[in-house]
Amino acid sequence: MSFWFWHGLRSGIRTTHYPRRAEAALGVSPGCPVNTEFSSDGEAQTAAAICPVDAIVAHGKSAFVDQGKCVHCQRCRLSIPSPMNWDTGYEWSRLPAGQAESMTLPSAFSRSMHVMVVDAGDCGACLHEVKQLNNPLYNIHRLGFFFTATPRTADLLLVVGPVSENMRGPLLKTWEAMPATRRVMAVGSCAISGGVFGHSFICAGGVGSVLPVDFEVPGNPPPPLAILHGLLVATGRKSVVDTERVSERRS
Amino acid sequence: MASVTGASLILFFLTCAVGILLSAVCGRKRAPLVIAVVGTLSSLLMVLASATVLLTGRNYEAQLWTLDGLGRLTLRLDALSSIFLLAAGIVYFSISLFVRSFVKDQMEDAYPTGRYGVLNFALMASVVLILVASDAPLFLIAWECMSILCFLLLNYEMRQQSDKMAGYIMLAMGEAGFLAVAVAFLILGRMATDFSFSALRAAAAGLSPQALWSVFLLGFFGFGVKAGLVPVNFWLPRSYTAAAPVFIPVFAGVTLNLGFYGILRLNADLVHTSYGTGVLALIVGSITALVGILYATTDNDMKTMLAHSSIENAGIIVAGLGAFLIYRASGQPVAAAIALSASLYHMVNHSIYKTLLFQGTAYVEAETGTRDMDQLGGLSRLLPGLSIVFLVGCLAISAAPPFNGFVSEWMTLQALLRSAVLSSTSVRIVFALCGAALALTAALAVTCFVKVYAMSFLGLPRGAWKPKPHPRVGARFPLAFLALVCLLLGTLPTYVLPVLNQSVEPLSGASVTTSLVPPFFTANAQNGQLPAAFLQDFHNLGAQTGKGLLPGRGLVVLLRGHEQNPVVFAMSPAYAFVALAILLLAGWFVVRRFTRRRAVVRRPLWAGGIPRLLPQMAYTATGFSNPVRVVFQAIFQPNITEDTRQTVAVHFRTAIHRQREETHVVDRLFLQPVGAATRWIAGFLAGMHHGRLNAYVTYVLAFLLLILFLYRAT
Amino acid sequence: MTACSSPADGNEQIGQSDLTAALGERFRNEVSPIQAERGYVLTLSLIQTSSLPSLCRFLFWDLGCQFGGMIAEELSDHWCLHYTFLLPGSGWIDVLLSLPIGTTTVPSIVAEVNAVDWHEREVEDLFGIHFEGHPRLGDFILHDQIWREGIEPMRKSFPVSCELKRKLDLEWQPLLIVGDPGSFAMPVGPVYDGGLGESVHFLLETVGEDVIRAVPRLFYNYRAVEKLAEGRSVADVLLLAERFAATSAFAHSLAFCQAVEKIHTVEAPPRAAILRVLICELERLRHHAGAIAAICESTAFGVSTAHASIIEEELLRASCVLIGHRYLFGLNIPGGLSRDFESGEYQRLLLSVDKAEKDLSTLESRLRYSSSFLDRLEDVGVIGIDSARYLNLVGPIGRASAQHCDLRKACPYSGYEGYAFDVPCEKEGDGYARLRVLFAEATQSVRLIHQAIDALQPGAVRVPCGGSPGGAALGWAEAPRGAALHWLSLDEKGLVDRYHAITPSFSNWHGFHEAAEDFAFQDFPIILATFGLSATECDR
Repeated sequence: MSFWFWHGLRSGIRTTHYPRRAEAALGVSPGCPVNTEFSSDGEAQTAAAICPVDAIVAHGKSAFVDQGKCVHCQRCRLSIPSPMNWDTGYEWSRLPAGQAESMTLPSAFSRSMHVMVVDAGDCGACLHEVKQLNNPLYNIHRLGFFFTATPRTADLLLVVGPVSENMRGPLLKTWEAMPATRRVMAVGSCAISGGVFGHSFICAGGVGSVLPVDFEVPGNPPPPLAILHGLLVATGRKSVVDTERVSERRS
Repeated sequence: MASVTGASLILFFLTCAVGILLSAVCGRKRAPLVIAVVGTLSSLLMVLASATVLLTGRNYEAQLWTLDGLGRLTLRLDALSSIFLLAAGIVYFSISLFVRSFVKDQMEDAYPTGRYGVLNFALMASVVLILVASDAPLFLIAWECMSILCFLLLNYEMRQQSDKMAGYIMLAMGEAGFLAVAVAFLILGRMATDFSFSALRAAAAGLSPQALWSVFLLGFFGFGVKAGLVPVNFWLPRSYTAAAPVFIPVFAGVTLNLGFYGILRLNADLVHTSYGTGVLALIVGSITALVGILYATTDNDMKTMLAHSSIENAGIIVAGLGAFLIYRASGQPVAAAIALSASLYHMVNHSIYKTLLFQGTAYVEAETGTRDMDQLGGLSRLLPGLSIVFLVGCLAISAAPPFNGFVSEWMTLQALLRSAVLSSTSVRIVFALCGAALALTAALAVTCFVKVYAMSFLGLPRGAWKPKPHPRVGARFPLAFLALVCLLLGTLPTYVLPVLNQSVEPLSGASVTTSLVPPFFTANAQNGQLPAAFLQDFHNLGAQTGKGLLPGRGLVVLLRGHEQNPVVFAMSPAYAFVALAILLLAGWFVVRRFTRRRAVVRRPLWAGGIPRLLPQMAYTATGFSNPVRVVFQAIFQPNITEDTRQTVAVHFRTAIHRQREETHVVDRLFLQPVGAATRWIAGFLAGMHHGRLNAYVTYVLAFLLLILFLYRAT
Repeated sequence: MTACSSPADGNEQIGQSDLTAALGERFRNEVSPIQAERGYVLTLSLIQTSSLPSLCRFLFWDLGCQFGGMIAEELSDHWCLHYTFLLPGSGWIDVLLSLPIGTTTVPSIVAEVNAVDWHEREVEDLFGIHFEGHPRLGDFILHDQIWREGIEPMRKSFPVSCELKRKLDLEWQPLLIVGDPGSFAMPVGPVYDGGLGESVHFLLETVGEDVIRAVPRLFYNYRAVEKLAEGRSVADVLLLAERFAATSAFAHSLAFCQAVEKIHTVEAPPRAAILRVLICELERLRHHAGAIAAICESTAFGVSTAHASIIEEELLRASCVLIGHRYLFGLNIPGGLSRDFESGEYQRLLLSVDKAEKDLSTLESRLRYSSSFLDRLEDVGVIGIDSARYLNLVGPIGRASAQHCDLRKACPYSGYEGYAFDVPCEKEGDGYARLRVLFAEATQSVRLIHQAIDALQPGAVRVPCGGSPGGAALGWAEAPRGAALHWLSLDEKGLVDRYHAITPSFSNWHGFHEAAEDFAFQDFPIILATFGLSATECDR
């Protein structure tokens, strides 16, 4: 005989205080490289050259990072002698390139949004991080976000993976089955740019080439809190980040 | 009015004769028209004859010629016969029109309609003759004619060997039942002056309990053959399945009722039976209902399923009859009247919706070429009109308000609940168990007909059927007419019950009109028809709505009790129907009002992202009813006759096949043991016949000695 | 819990020379044994194609080898088919079949070694080689609904970035084999469970109530990782090897790095080898915690799901604190590790690991006495010992059906031979047995982590790796879900010529249908969860 109810109560509340307060626990986010100003042009070019997916572009002394391409290989972080600055936050959500205005859902959705997830060729990491949102440590239900079993009741289509050819049809079917006032969120660098899989005969190279994307959550994979930030952005409870900011390289 | 009754009866027999002649003469091309015109006419005459009796309450009687040794032949149309005649008339009206449009639209020109017409009118005449016969010889002759005509009609298409076999089984069982009934009449007639019903009724009072029991058993099971009672109903699903689409509505809507008529006439009218016979009838009825609905739920052939459902309804009717016999024998006339009127009500209802469903099935089979619900699906798009009337039939038979099945099943269950008035605890327990069985039956009936409608008319089409050229306007009229009757009988029971009362009151000794239909329309505080406080309460509830506008006593069915419990049960399907209609309309208006500016966007079916939901991915009828099959495994006792798992290259499955075979529980527990015993006796007798002369002389001698001994002994 | 003794522990270790002798006796005229290296102990080059089935049968059934997988390679003028077998305790045996490039049919060995089934289907689909005698080729990776016939994407002549004309065949019909009257197929997926399940499509053939058969249809996530790898540098392909199946990324990158190291004949320094063991076991521990959470969730057991998933998330965080990535990306590189840790860092890890072990054992002891939970797992999704053998199941699923093969014991790598640990085994083969194996393996992983940390000595964590003129090698690792084999061939420029990953999910999905026969519909999620397979790891 096990007193599960009692064991459950005894665990207490373990849920993060985000978005009311920032989460202070270690390891909730791997962080990501940020735009860095080096002391010389050469350092910036070295940093750009070391990136295996061309996510870093050198511009003068500065090296700019396209978060949508970055696959978190950490080579630029560990490179000697010109490591990129590393941000340990998780509020990464952004708008697709070329889109100026946030397609935030109407205010009726701000306290209740139903999310349909589609695994369109994902490596398992992004999907696993999405699943972690149901973990008591994150518990997105408290914020009014729910994963729904059918696109008929979904407001947001959350796509992970670069859209493999075999999943293109099911993804479009899911999108078509959703009622109007729907948004698409691409989660993970694969879903944004194709990531390491890129564009090939079998890979669409990102959700954007199949569906109109409204929000992007970069990362490989984005940690649960980054995805949560994306959901909050979609409902207008948080705003997107500024991708243009450059931080100076500290020695 | 009696003259009208008589005239319509005579006219009826004449039109039947004309129908026989015209059908024989006209040939197959014109015969459908003859059936439609003459059949409609004669069915209207049936309705007229019965209506005059039921409305005036005066019976019609006519003396025919006298037969030597058997007495005078008499025709008599009393209220009991009239109810059956009325049901038969309504059913025949729809069937006559249906035969014409069905044969014209769906059958090829070579269809032998002429022969059908001849047999049909002969059967019609014999059915009416059974109902109006007022002495045993005429009754038995008419009965025998009906049996043989049924057999001929069942086989008139002459299609398959199995159909013929079904016909022979039906004939054999019919003849066995006939013999039993004849013996019952003979026992009854032993003390009577002649074989007229009035003489038999008088003689029955003097019979010993044992003789009464034998009359009851012989009559109950003899007529039970036609009524489809366990265990003598094994012929029924077979022959219903074999019957031609134009004949089967007659089978289910008319001849089945004659079984109840026989039981009622013999065991309730002629003989006042004891308490125990009622208990037997109640138990047999409940078991019949449960067995019937179990097999109906799990069968996928629409016709066979409806046949099993007929057995179920027969069970409900006979259970009500059993309750009536018990209440009558224990001196509870009001309860008896409620039980009998519920039973008769259900009989009428069943005739109507079952005719409707069989006609619908005939159309389904003609349009798609199959009756297997596993193969059907999506018919609502192929046959939209039929789909609606079929839905009405399904709702009615699964006892959903506002249709007629609800009223009669509700009343039957209420009648069983009245068992509290009985003194014997053991009988009360029997009532409780039978009530539970009937409640389970009602629940399973819903499952069964949800399955029928959902698996055949909804979902994805499992075949490439093309709609045939649009049928003529009015082709579905016979079905729509029956659907309307279902609705009327379901919403206006307060007008139906007084009519039924005409038949019920002479048998039970109490009126259901006074006990069930309180005069809310005529009562007021002054005239004292109802207690003032009671009337005020119900006035506040709206029971007097329609007063002055509508004729009759009211729209509420209500049984009044004593001081502590002023209302035993009450319902008003009429008000419920009006409320339902208003709510639906209001809902529709509200939805319209608020969504006027919103466009409806149709999105493709969601099936987990696969490109297309295939018909073989849709729920089948077998799959839908499999839970019932699993839960009631003890009754079905399926045999796995084949269980193969074919593989290639060690483990690649290429086919998994499992064939289940079920022997019907009646076949297993009754027919097979009886058959085995018969074969054993026949084998024993055959062993005695070995052709030696001295052996036969010995048999004769021994028999002679036995007779002499017996003679001495008495 | 019983720890099965693998043959490697006993005396019956078959020496390499004995093996050569045994083979020489039976197959003197059919094979020419070559002393091989780079991962294999022996390469048997077939002289006659016709003797392939009998040789494979001898290896699999008579010698008791495990089947590793089949690797197809298109060289300039001939095909090479490597049938890889593992002789526990000795090492990998490569049965090499070379055929001229024009060959289109090869005898199938599916009747001899059933586990080759999906490998042959894959090669047929991607290379266009027909396996004679295989009963069910086609419609495997390239779904017939979408792909035209005649596309062979793994051929060298097929360009990786081409646009193909797509056409959806709406008339396509699935292969249904249940012939019971009234049977139908209930489709599940590829988008199901609110999309939180990986993309797999199942057809549950049923006549209502009980499901007679469930067949998975996979490869919705096929991203042609192996095709993408061709012609790219090792550093680039490492990213792919890590990222095609992220929930066991470290094991796959380790197998890949070992293959590279074998080609260049370098060895990771001792400190790196020990750290690799440490991180491997950390990944296993975290994966098993997640798998246990999924099993609890499939039985709708809320509190235990919450507890198990908290353990998993805390281990993810601990991984992130130590390595900088929650899924251990970017640590393995050919020649060692990309960075070193200080003692304080792994001491902190040790705290997290010990806490996880304590929590897991508490959870296990509670679950063991929850009869409503056990009722749903026991006798569900049973795979018998014989079935598990002929289906060649690997990893915890195999070990729940008494298939004790664990590469850490059977063919040790990265110094696993120096650690003391058990390989837990069960015999029942049902859902509960699989759960017990997961718990027991988690305990063993913690034991290994402790030993690894104790064994750590200061030193370098990487050696230069590269420069040699190319070649091919097999790398392997016991991933959390079972044996992972990475076969890599480099050309003289050091670019990848052919890369093939044989994953445990690929091996075990093949056996899934055996567990999914004749079960109640509501048990389906439980069977799925106790298998704990990854579609993306299978699909690649």
